[in-house]
Amino acid sequence: MKKLSVVGIIFLLVVITLSLSFQIRADEDPIKIGAVNPLGDITGRQSTNAMELAVKELNEAGGLLGRPVELIVIDSELRPEKGASAIERLATSDEVDFFVGGMASSVHLAQIPTLKRYEKITVWIGAASHAIEEAVGPDEDWYFHLHPWDYQQGASYAYGWKDIEEKHPEVQIDSLFLAYEEGAFGTDSYESYQEYFESAQEGEGPYADLMEDFSGVSFVSAAHGGGDYRAMLRQAMNYDPDLFIWAGYDADAVPMLSQVREIGFSPPIYAGSPPGWPEDFGDSPLAENVVFFGMWAKSLNEVSPVAQHFWDEYIAMHDDEPVTYFAPLGYTNIHFLAKGVENAGTLEKEAVIESLREIEYDSPVGTTLKISPSRIISNQGFSEQKIIQWQDGVQEIIWPFDVATSEIIYPYEW
Amino acid sequence: MKKIIFYLFFVIMAATLPYYAGGYLLHVSTTILIFMSLSLSWDMMLRTGQLSFGNAGFFGLGAYASLISVSNLDIHPVLSLFFAAVFAAGVALVVGFAVLRLRKIYFAITTLALALVFEVIVMNLSDLTGGSSGRVLPQAIFGGNSVLIYWLILFITIIVILISELLNKSKTHYAINSIRNDEITARSSGINVFKYLVFVFVFTSAIQGIIGGVYTQQYAFVMPESTFSLDFLLLPIAMALVGGIYTTMGPILGAIFLGLISEYLKLIMPYGHLFIYGLIIVIVILFLPEGIYKVARKKYRNRKSQEVKLDASSEGK
Amino acid sequence: MKINQKKTSWLFAILFFIVIIVGIWDASALIYGLQRGSLYALIALPLAMVLGIMDILNLAHGELLTVGLYASYVLFINFSIDPLISTLPVFIFLVILGGIIYFLTIKKVLGEGHLPQLLLTFGISIMLIELIKIYWTTRPRNVYRAYASSSITIGNFRIGSYEFLYVFLAFAVFLLLKLFLKKTRLGQAVYAVGQNPRGAEIVGINVDLVYLFIFCLSSGILGLTAGVMLPRVSIFPLTGNPFSLISFALVAMAGMGSINGILLAGITLGIAEAVIQAIPGYGGWSDLVFFGVLIAVIMAKNIQEA
Repeated sequence: MKKLSVVGIIFLLVVITLSLSFQIRADEDPIKIGAVNPLGDITGRQSTNAMELAVKELNEAGGLLGRPVELIVIDSELRPEKGASAIERLATSDEVDFFVGGMASSVHLAQIPTLKRYEKITVWIGAASHAIEEAVGPDEDWYFHLHPWDYQQGASYAYGWKDIEEKHPEVQIDSLFLAYEEGAFGTDSYESYQEYFESAQEGEGPYADLMEDFSGVSFVSAAHGGGDYRAMLRQAMNYDPDLFIWAGYDADAVPMLSQVREIGFSPPIYAGSPPGWPEDFGDSPLAENVVFFGMWAKSLNEVSPVAQHFWDEYIAMHDDEPVTYFAPLGYTNIHFLAKGVENAGTLEKEAVIESLREIEYDSPVGTTLKISPSRIISNQGFSEQKIIQWQDGVQEIIWPFDVATSEIIYPYEW
Repeated sequence: MKKIIFYLFFVIMAATLPYYAGGYLLHVSTTILIFMSLSLSWDMMLRTGQLSFGNAGFFGLGAYASLISVSNLDIHPVLSLFFAAVFAAGVALVVGFAVLRLRKIYFAITTLALALVFEVIVMNLSDLTGGSSGRVLPQAIFGGNSVLIYWLILFITIIVILISELLNKSKTHYAINSIRNDEITARSSGINVFKYLVFVFVFTSAIQGIIGGVYTQQYAFVMPESTFSLDFLLLPIAMALVGGIYTTMGPILGAIFLGLISEYLKLIMPYGHLFIYGLIIVIVILFLPEGIYKVARKKYRNRKSQEVKLDASSEGK
Repeated sequence: MKINQKKTSWLFAILFFIVIIVGIWDASALIYGLQRGSLYALIALPLAMVLGIMDILNLAHGELLTVGLYASYVLFINFSIDPLISTLPVFIFLVILGGIIYFLTIKKVLGEGHLPQLLLTFGISIMLIELIKIYWTTRPRNVYRAYASSSITIGNFRIGSYEFLYVFLAFAVFLLLKLFLKKTRLGQAVYAVGQNPRGAEIVGINVDLVYLFIFCLSSGILGLTAGVMLPRVSIFPLTGNPFSLISFALVAMAGMGSINGILLAGITLGIAEAVIQAIPGYGGWSDLVFFGVLIAVIMAKNIQEA
C-alpha cells in the first residue's frame, strides 16, 4: 500500500496515453496521406512545405476521386525508433491510405519492418542507401522509391562526363580522386566508385574510359566535429587528378574550399555532391565554377514550366525560397501519387500500383518521372542526377543537355 | 501481500496491452521498455558510485553480435540475444579489469571513449559488419509481429526490473551501497570492492548487450551512426535522473514519463517540440532535483507516519 | 585548482616523442596538429575551469560556443563587423549570457553532485540547439573572409597561416590566466575557492561571486574563440556539440585542475590526429588513435590499486 501514490501516477499516465491512441476522428471522408519527415532539419521542413503545397493544389482542383485530400505529417526526429512509431501511428490511429516521406537511411531502415506489416502503398523520396533496397527485398510491389540509389548516382555522372568530354574536347578526364566523409554517406560513395573503377579497369561499366586511375581519401566531416581537410587535400594535390570529387555535407563546402586555396590546390574540375549548399553560398567568391551533382537547381525555371510553377507557388505559400532538392521532390511525391490514384479511378491497391507504374510525370526537378526496376526492387523512380555548376553565383545546369542552362566553364580556377 | 497484488495487476495490465491498445501505443510502449531497461542498467552501475558512459557502446556491441550471429551463423534471433549478452559481457569483463580501476570523471570519460572506439573498430571491420553503411536482416524477429516483439521486450524488462530489485534488497546491496558512500571504509571493512565493481559492470553490460540485440532484431538493421548513437547513452541517463536514481521505481517512472511526454509534445506541436522537452528536463531538475519518484514517495510518507519519514530521508540520500 | 606539474610530465614525454618522429617524416602534419590542438585546448580550457573550480559538469559547453558563433555571424551579416573585431562584443555578450544561465540554473545545482548538473546542462543544451534550429534552420552558414585562406611559403613549403591565430590565442589566454591566478587578488581567491570552497568561505572570500565570475569568464573565452573560428568554419545548430566531447576528453587527459595539462593534451591529441590523417589509407583510424591515446594516458595516470 505504500506505493499507492506511485501507482496512481502510473495509472494516470496510462489513461492519458490510452485516450491519445483512441482519438477518434469523426471525419472519415478525406483521402489521407501520412508523411514522416525530419521536421527539425531543413530538408524535412522544406519537403513538408512542398507536400502541403501539392495537397493544397489538389484540393483547390476539387480533390481526388471527388474526395478531399488530407496530409498528416509526423516528425521522425531523425531517430529510427521514432520514425517507426510514426508509421505505426499513421497506420493505426490516423488510418492513412498512403505513406510518403522522408530522409535519412537509418530512420527508413527502421521503418521497413513496420511498412512491410501494413503493405500500404508507400512512395519514398529520400534515403539513398542501397541497404534500404536490400531490406525491402524484391517482392514488395507496394513500395516505390523515387530518389536515385547511391550506385545509380555514380553511374549517371559517368554518362554526364562522357557527354561533356564529347561536346567539349578540351575537357579530358582520366584520373579521379574522391574525398569522402567517414560516415555512411561518404563511404557508400567511395565503395561504389571503387566498384566502378574495378570494372573500368577491365574496360567495362559506365566509367570504362573515364577512370584510368582512381584514388580516394576520407575526411571527418564538419558535421561530425571535423573540418580540417588539409591532410586529405595535400594527398589529393600530390595525386593531381583530372576530376576532384568530394562526398560530404553542406557544412563541409566552404571550409574545404577555403582550405583548397590555402593549400594551393587547383584541379581542372572541382566537384562535390552535398545534399544542399550553405546559406548565401552563391554570394561567396569561393563558389565560382564549383561543380556539383544534384537533382535540381533554381535555374531549371528557365527551361521547365513545371519547375517555374513550383517555384512561384512555393514562395507564394510559404514566403521562403526552396533551397534543397527535397522541396521539389516532396512536391513530386504527392503529385505522382495523386496522379496514380486519379488514373486508377479507385483506391484499390493493385489498380493504383498498376497505374503508378504507367505514369510519366513531368516533375519540377526537370526530368520526367517514370518507374522502372533497379537492382532489387521493381518500382524505382529517378535514376539520374544532374551536373550543375556555380556560375556568377547561380546554379547552372550543365548536363543533361536537354535541360542545360549553360555550358561548362573549364578548367576550374580561382 | 497487497503490494504483490498491485505488482501483479501492473504486470498483467502490461502483458495484456496488445489486446486493448492500438499499434501505435504498442510501439511507443516497446520503445519505452527498451529505454527503461537501459536506464535501469545504467542506474545499477551508478549504485556502486561509478558514473558509466559506456551504455551506448555495449548496446552497439550487442546489436552487432546479435545481427552477425543471425546472419552469419544462422541461429534463431531469440538465441542470438544470449550471444549478444555473452559478447557484451565478455568485452566488459576484459575492459572492466582495466577501467574499473579508474574513478569519477576519469571512469566516465574512459567508458565513453571506449564506446567510441568500439564504433570506429566496427566501422573499419567492414567485411563482418558492413562498414559504415551497415547491414540488414531479411526480416525482423518473429516476422515483424509487433505483439510478440512487445512481449519479448516486456519479458526482458521484467527480468531487468527483478534484477534491479534483487540488487536493492540482497546482501550485495549493502556492499554496493557502502562502496558508493565511502569506498575506503568499505575496503577496510573487508569488502572486495573491485570484485563487486567488475560483477556489476559485467552484468549491466550484458543487459545493454541484450537490449541492443533486441533493438536490432526489431528493426532488422545495424548502422554504426545510429546503432552507437549517443541517444542510447543520454536518454536513459535523463530518464533515470528525472525519475530518481538509486531506485528501481525511478528509472521506470522516468522512462514512462519522458517517453510519453516526447510523443505527446510531438503531436501537439510538430515544430519545436524538442525545445519544450529540454525545458521540461530543466524544470524537473530545478524543482524536483531528487526525481519524480522520491518526491512523490516523500510527500506520501510525510502524510503517513513519522517512522516512515525517517526511513525516506535516510534512503533519499 | 591545482596546477599540477608532476602529472604533466607523462604528456611531455609522449608529446616529445611524437614531435620528433613526425617532424622528420612530415612537417606539415606537425603544424596542422599544433594548430588544431591549440583550438581544442582553447575550447577545453573554459570547461576545465568550470569543472576544476566550481565542480560543475557542463554538457552545454559546446552549445555556448555555437551561440558565440551565431552572435559573431549576426554582427557580420547585419553590421558588417569583421569576426576578428567582433570577438570583443561577442566576449561581452557571452559573459552576460553566462551570467544569466548561472543565476537561473547553475546556481541552484551547485554542490548537488555531478548528476543533477549533467541532466540540467543536457536540458539546456537541447533548448539552445532547438532555439537555433527554429530561428536559423539547420542550414549551414559561413562568413567569407579572404584572409582565412592565407598561407605563407618558405621555399617550396606552403603552410596555412590563419590558424596560427589559434596557437597564438591559446598561448595568450593560458598565459594571461596563469598570470591572473598568481598575481591578482581575485585570482588568488579563485585559486583558494578551487582548492577548498569551505575554507575559502571561512577566510572571508565571497565564494558565490567567484563562481559567478568563473562561469562568466569561461563563457567569455568561448565567445572570444568563436570570433576567431568563424571565418574558418561552417556554423549550424550542432557546430559546437562535438567540442563538448573533445573538451571532456582533454580535461580527463590533463587531469582535473591542470591548466598546463590542457594545452599539452590538446596539442598531443591534435598532432596524433593529424599524423594519422596524413598517412595515406589510414585516415579512417584517426578517431581510434585520438581515443586510444586518451585512454592510454588516463589509465597510466589514474590507475588505483584495487
